Amino acid sequence: MDEEFERLFKRIKEIERSFREYIEDEFQRVIRRLREDMIYVERMFSPMWHYEGYLRPLYSVIDKGSYYEIYIDLPKADEQSIDIRFNDNLMYIKARLKEEIKFRGLSGRGGETKFYEYREVVELPFKVDPQKVRIFAKRGFVKVLIYK
Amino acid sequence: MIRVLEVYREEWVGDYVILEYKPIELQKPSYAIISLPDTGLVGVISAWHIVKTLQLTEVGGVDSYTYLPPIVVVSNKYLRAPIRVFSGNNLLVIYSEFMPAQHGLIQLSKILTNYLERKGVDYVLLPSGMPIQNRFEVESLKTYYLATTTKALELLKSVDALPFENGFLAGPYALLLKEFTRARLNTILLLTESFLEFPDPEASAKNINVISRIIGRDIDVKELLEQAEIIRLRARDAMKNTLRGLAQLRKDVEYAVPLYT
Repeated sequence: MDEEFERLFKRIKEIERSFREYIEDEFQRVIRRLREDMIYVERMFSPMWHYEGYLRPLYSVIDKGSYYEIYIDLPKADEQSIDIRFNDNLMYIKARLKEEIKFRGLSGRGGETKFYEYREVVELPFKVDPQKVRIFAKRGFVKVLIYK
Repeated sequence: MIRVLEVYREEWVGDYVILEYKPIELQKPSYAIISLPDTGLVGVISAWHIVKTLQLTEVGGVDSYTYLPPIVVVSNKYLRAPIRVFSGNNLLVIYSEFMPAQHGLIQLSKILTNYLERKGVDYVLLPSGMPIQNRFEVESLKTYYLATTTKALELLKSVDALPFENGFLAGPYALLLKEFTRARLNTILLLTESFLEFPDPEASAKNINVISRIIGRDIDVKELLEQAEIIRLRARDAMKNTLRGLAQLRKDVEYAVPLYT
């Protein structure tokens, strides 16, 4: 009789565990989806240009194990003017364009705007020690290495 | 006033509609180039430059209310479909800056297979990029090819490209390749080393040089290379939108090393 109770009790515990795992998985899935939707909506309201005359660059952040590798695409940027600064976990990018740019032929939506520079603030998933940063620029691309 | 191109022919296939603004007659041997947004927008930039340089005419379009975002392209006051079809002499170019939803891509691959067969296209060229991690350092880019038939392979005899022998392919071109192979269409996939996440006109220029040799027509890439920075600048939005689609298509698989080759 005791053995049967023990087996039943064990089975109830297993069901309880798998139910808890299922709830946790579902909860995480919903949170992930919600976060993706929020990022998507946020991006919808922040296009890659601003009517004040600045453009936002494309960038990528890759964890390489002992360091982070960040690439920033800055076509038409004046290499001498590229300014990258760090504060806590924020990376500030600024660069002047070699010449004034207009999106010719575009009706409204930036078609009449003249662009002078790149500006972006990137939120990194870690705090940066500026002493451990190396920056390389080539052909309108910037590579930033941040050692851990 | 907005102008609407007169539709000469309209055909609904599944959830897609194929439009033709005029009869499409291709000289022989005929080639089709298909460009969908993928790695570094290499295919899209290549196709855009070919259309511009060879002054191809817009002859049709493909649209879907189910699988494409609710978009109309307005070009010189004319309404166009999101997937645009250009043609001239023996060349047909299918061009899209928008990625259909994943299920829509499967149906689109089947529809394009059927359409190209009916048009009697002899060869299909798929220009794309191959992401490499050290693209920042690499200046001399390699192009790899995959041919689906012996006839297609013959076109590659004198081109500066290496065979793609082992590895994974993911994304829209992987789907097209599967469908075209099944239909025994003479297809060549061109993969030039490129950035994954940034528009790469230099890789596109390399692809165009190979295409130029294959189709036997001179396509100058000087202007493309001179304008590379401004193209990169203009293509930022298209690239940003493409990356979201590529993540869903498991593009990361391409960096993986297969266990068995």
